[in-house]
Amino acid sequence: MDFFIQLFTDPVTFWNSHTLLIAQIGINSIIASSMFIVLYSGQLSLAAPGFMAIGAYTSVLMDIDWHTPLALNIAAGVVLAGLAGVLVGLPVLRLRGVFLAIATIGFVEALRLGVILNLPITGEGLGLKNPTADPLGGVNMVLASLLVVLFLMWRLTKGRLGAAWAAIRQDELAALSQGINVSRYKMIAFVLSAVLAGFAGGLEAHLNFFVDPGDQQYGVTRAVQILTFAVLGGSGHFVGPVVGAMVVTTLPWIFQQAHDYINVVTGAFLIAVIVFRPQGIVGRGGLAIIRPAWWPHRNRVRAPSPG
Amino acid sequence: MLLRLDKIQRHFGGVHAVDGVSLEVEQGSIHGLIGPNGAGKTTLVNVITGYVPFQSGHAWLQSDKLTGLPAHRIAALGISRTFQNIRLFKDLTAMENVLVGMHTRRRDDTLAQLATLPVFRRDERSRLDDARALMETVGLAAKDIGGRPAGTLPYGDQRRLEIARALALRPRLLILDEPAAGMNPSEKQGMRELIERLNDDGLTVLLIDHDMRLVMGVCKRVAVLDFGRKIAEGTPDEVSTDASVIKAYLGTGGDKAVASAPGASAVGEAEPPIEAAADARPAAEPQTAILEVEDLTVSYGAVTAVRGASLRVAAGEVVALIGANGAGKSTILNTLSGLIRPDSGTARFDRLDLTTAKPSAIVRHGLVQVPEGREILARQTVLENLELATWGRRDGADTGQAHAGRASIKAQIEAVMKRFPILSERRALSAGTLSGGEQQMLAIARGLLAKPRLLLLDEPSLGLAPQMVDEVFAAIEEIHREGTTILLVEQNALRALEIADRAYVLETGQIKLSGSGDDLLHNPAVRRAYLGG
Repeated sequence: MDFFIQLFTDPVTFWNSHTLLIAQIGINSIIASSMFIVLYSGQLSLAAPGFMAIGAYTSVLMDIDWHTPLALNIAAGVVLAGLAGVLVGLPVLRLRGVFLAIATIGFVEALRLGVILNLPITGEGLGLKNPTADPLGGVNMVLASLLVVLFLMWRLTKGRLGAAWAAIRQDELAALSQGINVSRYKMIAFVLSAVLAGFAGGLEAHLNFFVDPGDQQYGVTRAVQILTFAVLGGSGHFVGPVVGAMVVTTLPWIFQQAHDYINVVTGAFLIAVIVFRPQGIVGRGGLAIIRPAWWPHRNRVRAPSPG
Repeated sequence: MLLRLDKIQRHFGGVHAVDGVSLEVEQGSIHGLIGPNGAGKTTLVNVITGYVPFQSGHAWLQSDKLTGLPAHRIAALGISRTFQNIRLFKDLTAMENVLVGMHTRRRDDTLAQLATLPVFRRDERSRLDDARALMETVGLAAKDIGGRPAGTLPYGDQRRLEIARALALRPRLLILDEPAAGMNPSEKQGMRELIERLNDDGLTVLLIDHDMRLVMGVCKRVAVLDFGRKIAEGTPDEVSTDASVIKAYLGTGGDKAVASAPGASAVGEAEPPIEAAADARPAAEPQTAILEVEDLTVSYGAVTAVRGASLRVAAGEVVALIGANGAGKSTILNTLSGLIRPDSGTARFDRLDLTTAKPSAIVRHGLVQVPEGREILARQTVLENLELATWGRRDGADTGQAHAGRASIKAQIEAVMKRFPILSERRALSAGTLSGGEQQMLAIARGLLAKPRLLLLDEPSLGLAPQMVDEVFAAIEEIHREGTTILLVEQNALRALEIADRAYVLETGQIKLSGSGDDLLHNPAVRRAYLGG
């Protein structure tokens, strides 16, 4: 309770004492947006941690070895993650549903266990020290990036691209019959998602003095956590996964009185949300559920917001 | 010619789904495509629209070659379609569905979107006006339903919305796959008017439907498919009197085929006078029946499949229930088995109320259905399929003689295998490798293991080659001789009428005729129930 009391009565102290949490929420929200794009186009891809790893290691290694500026490091990570997205997407995007999920998990694990834990350059499982990290200063950059990402999501889902994605998610065959190049639009979504994940990975690495190649960071555990953001928040509207990321990331603080039983309590909470709101916290109809009644909103007939 | 197909071939494994079909659709016409179940109509449409590749042949849309193009390119060239089982984007609003249809003629606005340029708003406004106009064209009020998720619209509106979405593509050719399926007569009339109106505006339509009244009424030319081949083409009048078409729809009689049976009358031969229809005196319904159905009405959501059907089956009879596709035959059987609950009416088997009893209780009572399409477990062996059929049986369990019970079940399995020797030969093979006829035998054998007093057979001859049909029907007759009462649903009407004591003719959910098998065999009204006219 203290957590919320402080948030509302003394936001400045809250900000100062929880900066790291806020930064992590921002990072997770960007990753959740990456998940949103693939889910919105009907692809159950769990590849995000792999692309995050690519973004993170690229950026940190460039910093250590070449001392290049941060912006360039992250940009390089983003580009590499995008390229990896193309290479991974070409073979796996023929798969659907749970088969796609398994194939992308295969990519994540092959990258982590096969490459990262074996290459001398990535520290061979011991991780990498990142001396130039800036945990507290990075938060502004993270939140600014999140705003840009949310704006992009909002605009992309409104246009022709978003309409095509929504159609593919609903029924690929029917989308084909409307002249939509299904495999192309799925590829666009997959690569865009990889790019966002790479970006989030680079940002996250900048917040930590140590790049940890563990499972909870770049492995299946992280993939499941990211999927939880989207499922809990609702994947029909771009705000959903971000809300999910906020809730899931904050849960340990909300339930801190549970001490040793904190995992039990958070697990029960997640189950309760899914049972009572299977469409996610932000369900279909976008923000209707959390929008105050007096807020002006356009007639839905006029608003072509897919999803 | 707008659409030209030249010797299109499509095989699935050994099955010739489309076998050398050539077809020409004239610009501005409404062209019908009909054929019995499994004739290859939908496969042909899937081939034209690029969903499934074809092995050989050529296809052109005017001067554009369709051969080898992916589906989205073919759509962009101007072939748009609706689906047999509606495929709207269910969670998108009605309006959004139509907007998606404009994909190919909408410029890529991603960058304009990101920059939130005003050009987007202007384009969007014109698109919305366009979509609204399309919805009005197909008879939907955009104002009222435009904002509703497509999946929540009434059935008839969904059909219309799918057409609006297809029109949004501005197609040169519109393919309608069973647009009137499941509609009531007035909705069908509305659909017919819509198709004619679209055609008057210059749209070419390829229409597939089982409702002969619709197809024959609206089309200028009709092509008929059977077993993947085009067996006839011509005006509706020519086609509906064509001997091979009648044969394809009504089936062929076996050795007992009578010269005056509708399937036997060749082209040019004098048809039996229509007045003969009046001769169909209803055969005396049995006084004591084990199955009594009164005034049964069944619907799926907004679609009424069976309207006030009444029928009776007495012990020891073979009763046939015949009618065209979509007439409601299977719905009646599924209702009797307790799989569907009726809206109104009664159905009793002995003293058991079939409208409320659990399906498992109905089976235990001795009413057993062999479902359409066999529904065998393809990956299990033949023997496992039969053993699983006895799973729920507890012979001897209550008297403490479980061992003897198991032995008796084993003996029963051997007994049905003796009746269908082919199953004994194939007992260790997985059921999916059996031929269609053998699978049907297996399905019937499985039904027999439930010890039926009344056996419901749903389309036992579906998709079978003629010799196989003979074998299946011989087996049915033998089962009947051994004392099992049978209610038989068949598309192959002549064949069913031959072995039936009595029969009911079902048309759009209503029982239109009933009588003894022999009477109906000679009744031209039966042909009309299938082919319209």
